[in-house]
Amino acid sequence: MGGAGWLFLFAVLMAAGLLFCMVFFIIMFSDLECDYINPIDLCNKLNQFVLPENLAHAFLAVLFLTSGQWTAFLLNLPLVLWNADKIRKKSHMYDATEIFRTLGGHKKETFFKLGFYLLSFFYYLYRCAPSPFSTLVASSTWMIVALIAESE
Amino acid sequence: MSSSPAQQLPPGWAAEWHESRASAIPIHWSVLSRLAANSNSEAPNHAETASGHTQWEPPSQLPESQPPSTAQPTAQSHHGKRRQYAAGQTQAYYGAAEVAADPGYGVAPGLQPQPAGGQLFTPGLASENQFQAQQAQVPGQPSYYSQQPPDQPLAYGADPAATAGGYGSQPGQQPQYIQPGVDALAGQFGQMGLAGGQKQFQLYTSNLLTSPPEPKELHRPPPEIRLPPNSSISPSPLANADPSYQRCTINAIPTTSSLLNKAKIPLALILTPYRSLKDGDEPVPVVTDTVIARCRRCRTYINPYVQFIDGGNRWRCCMCNMSNEVPQLFDWDTARNQPGDRWSRAELNHSVVEFVAPTEYMVRPPQPAVYVFLIDVSHAAVQSGMVATATRTILENLDRIPDEDQRTKVAIICYDTSLYFFSVPPGSDSSMLVVSDIDDVFLPKPTDLLVNLAESRPTLEALLGRINDMFQENNIIGSAMGPALQAGFKLMSPIGGKIVVLSASLPSVGAGALKNREDPKILGTAKESGLLQAASPFYKTFAIDCSRAQVSVDMFLFSQSYQDVASLACLPHYTSGQTYYYPAFNAARPEDALKFAREFGDVLAMPVMLEAVMRVRASRGLRMSSFHGNFFVRSTDLLAMPAVPQDQSYAIEIQIEEALTTPFVVFQTAVLHTTCYGERRIRVVTLALPTTTNLSEVFASADQIAITTLLANKAVERSLTHKLEDARDFVYQRLVDILMAYKTSMTSGGAGASAQLAISDNMKMLPVLVLGLLKNVGIRQSAQIPPDIRAYAQALLTSLPSQLLIPYIYPTFYSLHNMPAEAGTVGEHGIILPPALPLTSERFERHGLFLIEDGQTIFLWVGRDAVPQLITDVFDLPGYDVLRGGKITLPTLENEFSQRINAIVQKIREMRRGVYYPHLYVVKEDGEPPLRLWALSALIQDRADVLPSYQQFISSLKEKVNTT
Ligand SMILES: [Zn+2]
Repeated sequence: MGGAGWLFLFAVLMAAGLLFCMVFFIIMFSDLECDYINPIDLCNKLNQFVLPENLAHAFLAVLFLTSGQWTAFLLNLPLVLWNADKIRKKSHMYDATEIFRTLGGHKKETFFKLGFYLLSFFYYLYRCAPSPFSTLVASSTWMIVALIAESE
Repeated sequence: MSSSPAQQLPPGWAAEWHESRASAIPIHWSVLSRLAANSNSEAPNHAETASGHTQWEPPSQLPESQPPSTAQPTAQSHHGKRRQYAAGQTQAYYGAAEVAADPGYGVAPGLQPQPAGGQLFTPGLASENQFQAQQAQVPGQPSYYSQQPPDQPLAYGADPAATAGGYGSQPGQQPQYIQPGVDALAGQFGQMGLAGGQKQFQLYTSNLLTSPPEPKELHRPPPEIRLPPNSSISPSPLANADPSYQRCTINAIPTTSSLLNKAKIPLALILTPYRSLKDGDEPVPVVTDTVIARCRRCRTYINPYVQFIDGGNRWRCCMCNMSNEVPQLFDWDTARNQPGDRWSRAELNHSVVEFVAPTEYMVRPPQPAVYVFLIDVSHAAVQSGMVATATRTILENLDRIPDEDQRTKVAIICYDTSLYFFSVPPGSDSSMLVVSDIDDVFLPKPTDLLVNLAESRPTLEALLGRINDMFQENNIIGSAMGPALQAGFKLMSPIGGKIVVLSASLPSVGAGALKNREDPKILGTAKESGLLQAASPFYKTFAIDCSRAQVSVDMFLFSQSYQDVASLACLPHYTSGQTYYYPAFNAARPEDALKFAREFGDVLAMPVMLEAVMRVRASRGLRMSSFHGNFFVRSTDLLAMPAVPQDQSYAIEIQIEEALTTPFVVFQTAVLHTTCYGERRIRVVTLALPTTTNLSEVFASADQIAITTLLANKAVERSLTHKLEDARDFVYQRLVDILMAYKTSMTSGGAGASAQLAISDNMKMLPVLVLGLLKNVGIRQSAQIPPDIRAYAQALLTSLPSQLLIPYIYPTFYSLHNMPAEAGTVGEHGIILPPALPLTSERFERHGLFLIEDGQTIFLWVGRDAVPQLITDVFDLPGYDVLRGGKITLPTLENEFSQRINAIVQKIREMRRGVYYPHLYVVKEDGEPPLRLWALSALIQDRADVLPSYQQFISSLKEKVNTT
């Protein structure tokens, strides 16, 4: 496995991490809707993860850029810009006072990111080692994710 | 009053003046008002006769003078029924030396006076005493519910025979006739639509192009609620909520959301559960025996709309149909220890009721009321006289601060760039402790900072008398308001209560420091809405901390320059407080000092509801979808309100989630709270509304006042999340949608172009109200409005109850120089106001004296040709030339005209709920432009700059409706 292979293996792990982060967010949002958690605790919890999530993703994009993986970089660029724009507008954190009004938007965004990380997960996996083995890994991971989504 | 005979007299004000003073005009005002109201007269033909031109007396009949009489325990009267908690428990919790039983109740002059039961009805000052009035009214006559319209005395007929006829022709307001065989008592209840049975709503269409706005329309009651017969188990007219407590934008709920979508009318509740009692209002009955029947499934409180089944042993919930057991002691009179009459229980006869809550409703023993005053003593604050006025007001109002059980605690912290704590030990002198470390705020002393008001009273009084002198020479500029808030919070967070912030400058150091971000260049641009949002996250995170600790913040702001009201108002907004703003306050002007002292004093005296949570439940199929107002939304439907002030309004949007199958639905608001005398209570407000499958009924029962109140809230929300322009577009589009929906489904024109602009009669004021909203300072298109003024207007738009909000959007305009002879005199129902004019400067006369008021400000407009006699009579000055524009205190002079005008001004200041005491400005027709333009901006039917006149607005609406 060459340098690119290692890079994409790392990317697979990162994407998996980000994926689970998003699943966690979605679980928390539905907890809020069912009144299992109050908006203050929810925001305190989620806000701890917002910046790390954004940074991890941006770090990945920078890795692609520096190693000349243009396709992968360009795929990630819109999301990096989107995150950066939110940080610039100081609207990246969850606001407990407005959370019920903005919940719909937050959920949509989180679901979108979930989908994005899922697709990029498979893409990285494919780039990492296009072999029957990776297909096997991919399909089993897919099943796990599907199970998680169902248990939601 | 173009048809007034007075104007046919030769020009010259003096002539008219003498005519009216002599009361010699042989034409009754009722006749005039009918002339003015054209064919569609609302004025009953009962002639106002003995309204007493002769019996002028200063309007001093304040509620205090009423003899207290309590046939029934009331919300305001808790005498001797404070819940008993183990004394040791309470003491241990609060560390109070003694928990005395309420001494001094009824002595404190400022506490909300005990209204005199149902027997006394003092006319005039009572403004929302609908039910009192009904007692005196003929059944079938719609009652006025809101502030008294100018022709109020006419509406309350003393002579039934005379009043009966006047209303018959009123569109959309069919009289209810008493069915034969129903006894006289039920006849009085006929108005509620109970005795009369259910009738089809008649839809009347108005053409907006030909019917100009008529201010009187705003005082009409909302469309009648026509419940099916026997919906309520009580025949009482009080079984359904008064609109001042809770009203809905549509008084007949569409059964499906698709029907609602067809009508395009937003569905929402407008509520003021903690409405103050004005003189003559029905007090809220209290259920003292802690027998609280609630539905097992949906937790609805028992109310007049449940059904008793199974021989009265069970009751069926009106929300979810669950069958519940009737509690054992439900039929037992605990006061007399004997079997009681279930049917006389307050919760089955009253829509607004308070339960005394047993311990299950407490997470801790009821907290005492706590007031922490944070007083800005920086150079600017002291120099403006704010510190002196504030401390004096607190001192003078110590008796009015709710403290009937002597548990109330008080602390005073002053701040500039340091914090000054005051140790106020009972029985000895106070001492000051300075904390300069504002980065990590700590309390310099564990005790004696937050003290029992009664115990430390003499020390406190001495301290309050000295504070201003202590800081008289203070030259420090800057404000550590954030650290002061943190200190106050530390002091009181174990208990909760109220932080009252008095600030005269922009917070500049420590947590929550703000920068001057006022930039004239971005006013009027898309970026302006940024200035209306909180600049620092501190104000939101701190608000959340406060809400958690049951702390509420009130802001009193006084700055000469930019103070970032938008950021500061965040704290009251999320902690159920209120923002009060006195721009460029200067106590050297007696008017400024008086206004602030009045309002601050009333806020101090207000009996707040502490550690409250509010929840609105509704029949199955309905869901509360979004919430507007001053509170923190703690879960999907629970609103946290650490201290609920009186007369604050909230708006809640409703979604129809599944088709409604019942003939009527019920909305029930429950506010669990602690009274400021330490009793845990639940205030329950129940509103029942019929459902309908008929689109025309939906239109015919739309409540334009409630719709406007909702739109005001939505507009402000939108201006913060989007742009100001989007907010205006949104409101405008909602109006266009309604008009288009009406045109397509209710008129023969259908989708094609039409020569008229049709709307149902009950909504014909909606366009002018929307125009008023679009022209309100809060969202008006302008590059001239300072962000502080805008932010404050927005705070008002989202918290004023309809009674105050409607004049704030659509001001009232009177002509004084030629007012009817009885206007300004004491009539049967208080001071008579002149008839209100449409808001257009066409009504100005160069020799005239006019009054415009919006509930926050009063303008006296003096025409440039006003005769010297008028100026002398009103202002005690020789002529127009020497009269100066600006804030004034109107002198009371030895002439009838002066006294009548003073009476009118006083009536305007007192007739509405809320603590606001409007400033009075004299505006000269050729006076200083800013003041003139300000006064003229209240005349919203005129064109101003880019803002359209009413005519232009209507034609643009017509175009829009016809083309899309
Ligand atoms: Zn139920």
